[in-house]
Amino acid sequence: MVLSSLINGIVLGSLYALIALGPTLIYGILRILDIANVAGLTLGAYTGLKVFEATHSLLAALVVAMLASAAFGYLLQRFLYRPILGRGPLIPLIAGIGVFIAMEEVFRLVFGPYPLDFPATVPLPTVHVGGAVVTGVQLLILIVGIAVLVGTWYSLRRTRLGLLWRATSQDTETASAMGVNTGLVIATIFLIGYALAAISGVLLGINYNTVYPTMGDIPAYKMLAIIVLGGLGNPLGTILAAMLIGLVETFVVAYLGFVLPRDAIAFIVLIVILLVRPQGLLPGESFGS
Amino acid sequence: MSYMIVVGVTVVIYAILTVSLNIIVGYVGQPNLAQGAFLGIGAYFAAVFSTRYHMSFWLTIPLAFATAGVAGLVLGAISLRLREDFLAITTIGLNFVIVAVFQYVPFFGGAVGIYAIPLPSIAGHQFSNNAFLTVGLLMLAFVMAVSKYLEHTWFGASLMAIRDDETAASSVGVPVASYKVIAFTLSAAFAGMAGSLYAPFLSAVTPTSFGFIESVIVLAMLIFGGLGTIRGAVLGAVILGALPEAFRFISNYRLLMFGAILLLMLRFQPEGLVGEGSVLVKLTRRATEELRRRRHKGTTDSPAAGV
Amino acid sequence: MALLEIDSVTVRFGGLVALREVAFDVDEGQFISIIGPNGAGKTTLFNAIAGVIKPSSGRIRFQGREVQGSNPSHMSHLGVRRTFQVARPFASMTVRENVRLAAAGRQVLQSARALGLRGRVRPLADRVDGLLETTGLTADARRRASELNIGGLRRLEIARALASEPKVLLLDEPAAGIGVDGLRPLAELIGGVHHRGLTVLLVEHYVGFALSLSDRVIVLDEGTMIAHGTPEQVRNDERVITAYLGKAGGGQGARPPAVPTGPDAPGER
Repeated sequence: MVLSSLINGIVLGSLYALIALGPTLIYGILRILDIANVAGLTLGAYTGLKVFEATHSLLAALVVAMLASAAFGYLLQRFLYRPILGRGPLIPLIAGIGVFIAMEEVFRLVFGPYPLDFPATVPLPTVHVGGAVVTGVQLLILIVGIAVLVGTWYSLRRTRLGLLWRATSQDTETASAMGVNTGLVIATIFLIGYALAAISGVLLGINYNTVYPTMGDIPAYKMLAIIVLGGLGNPLGTILAAMLIGLVETFVVAYLGFVLPRDAIAFIVLIVILLVRPQGLLPGESFGS
Repeated sequence: MSYMIVVGVTVVIYAILTVSLNIIVGYVGQPNLAQGAFLGIGAYFAAVFSTRYHMSFWLTIPLAFATAGVAGLVLGAISLRLREDFLAITTIGLNFVIVAVFQYVPFFGGAVGIYAIPLPSIAGHQFSNNAFLTVGLLMLAFVMAVSKYLEHTWFGASLMAIRDDETAASSVGVPVASYKVIAFTLSAAFAGMAGSLYAPFLSAVTPTSFGFIESVIVLAMLIFGGLGTIRGAVLGAVILGALPEAFRFISNYRLLMFGAILLLMLRFQPEGLVGEGSVLVKLTRRATEELRRRRHKGTTDSPAAGV
Repeated sequence: MALLEIDSVTVRFGGLVALREVAFDVDEGQFISIIGPNGAGKTTLFNAIAGVIKPSSGRIRFQGREVQGSNPSHMSHLGVRRTFQVARPFASMTVRENVRLAAAGRQVLQSARALGLRGRVRPLADRVDGLLETTGLTADARRRASELNIGGLRRLEIARALASEPKVLLLDEPAAGIGVDGLRPLAELIGGVHHRGLTVLLVEHYVGFALSLSDRVIVLDEGTMIAHGTPEQVRNDERVITAYLGKAGGGQGARPPAVPTGPDAPGER
């Protein structure tokens, strides 16, 4: 029981980490809470589903979903966010909310209001660990999650893009004064951030075997809670916060049950954290420094 | 005709919400994505007290005003600790928390909400839709008058000074913290007052009518009309409130419309339709100035013709 | 009793001591300048007096009442008004509205007129006009504050600070960023205000500008008060000369040339 809750918690935490990682990278570089990112998640889920239905290849579904979402993210930063960057954090946040609710309507109009099944079978075995069961889907989430997280860590620490991200996230003006092409860095981060959203969307769809227009709602505010809890734009903090929330949720639901729905709990926790420790669990900045 | 009046009441309720939201977002420059929740608090308290305790409609108005005001006071106190985007997401969270309270606290009727809210009556006569419209317009006039009054007082000017620069405002003697809290309280209380009309008008309240989406819609109306101006707030509510009713097909794309309006306005015309500095206002100003100059020129050139 | 007493004020930021036991009195009607090289603690001292930061230890008394750790709004109501080094106008308001907001205090503006209390509004309007006149902003009164140039903004800062008829005016580097030709009119404005009886405390980077206006000068270096006296005394104080020579490397700081200029190139820091 404890072991299986632990595994469920870690799987959920990995999923949350995947969802929150893109917006964290974007927050780090632009100081924008990009709520529209979850529109990228839903777009990825629908695209993945449609490609999967056509090809029955999970890999093709993932790749096309990532491409579609990344293109969407690129357009957003190019034509919405970057022109309004100089107007403080609120305007982009509210514009992002506009994108978020408009896209939900678009999904409803294009794909219909009803939940669609995502009947993908994962080519991975079900594993027994002690008394607990890890399903193939859970295994996939863990593998993808770990791969993405390690990949992100490596990119930020060891590659030129990572260096640029860290420079720009610390001081955009100085970075561009030093010759960093901040426009290119921002565009790249959006491409990555929205590709990650697509991966989360597909995994979310497979895990719960359902894709629907408002599937981004809950991830949207979980993502906000995780970003804040993780110290705002700190990827390592985000991963830790995602794990923490995944585990706490799983254990609370398994052992306590609650009067209020999970939605409200997450937000009450978020508000309390903001009030008590506005700088998050880990203070700002970058990976493991 | 009767249908038009129903639409009218809806529009008036939205206008009360936008004008009151303008106090906090337009004047003080603080984000607030919870105006729908304050409407809900007012509506719920009015509904509970009129159905369960048979309180008169006229008494539920101050009750709704006060309860929403208290909630606004709490948010105002929170706002002192948080800046900009964090305050914004806190107000988003407030929607979910308040909806959850409505849903799960038995006092508020649970998931089904409260129904069979009695019609108000005046001098022994039950309210007609016309009466709702009249009361709504009176409420709107009251909120507009208070806003207008604020614009001309030191208090109102101080709120705008806080929006421009908190530190400088404090240096010229503006008590920033208490004024912010007062503004939040007032703004929420007005929304709550609208709730006391909303509940008996629809005769039922359900938790999900007052969530995040409703708050976004009110904000979108305000931004569309023009932040910081009473005329913008009213115009936004009138146009966007009536549009889905006038063109039924729009109601199928309602959220798409509000979402698109938010991002397009913020991207291309953040001053809104008739806000200070908007294209429309600038053009009108220029035109009237031109007109005045021409008239002036006319009188000086040929004094006889000018009379 | 002095109007303002700074009683061994110490300010620490973490492990860093920004001010160490600074003590001096300001008498009514005095013009006192606080000078010192960059990082000397001038602005910290200023912020402590204006109520922006709370001293780690020590007392600040205004008219005999302890006010350390108060807030800027309260200090402002007591009669201690400040200007900002980087001008902070209310950008969406006109120049006149900026001054009027500061002048009105808690009293109601046009609503008083609406209620027929014209008598209460008229003196306010006259006073605002007077302030605009004094600070040379009459021509710009109806422009948005955001349209002013740096000299105009600095004047607006002063007009706004004067508007509430303060007992002490705190000026934070009013000459910073103003060209040489703007210095003399600014000095005349500030000097004129002082001659009408206002107590002025000036933090300034341009030593010559400060010395030419002051009754007394306080010199800070690395958070410590190293000299306190008349401009003449300070000008010849060995420690002051060393402090400036050591920091600025120019040597012209402590001995101002005829045209007031700074130890460093003009500009914001």
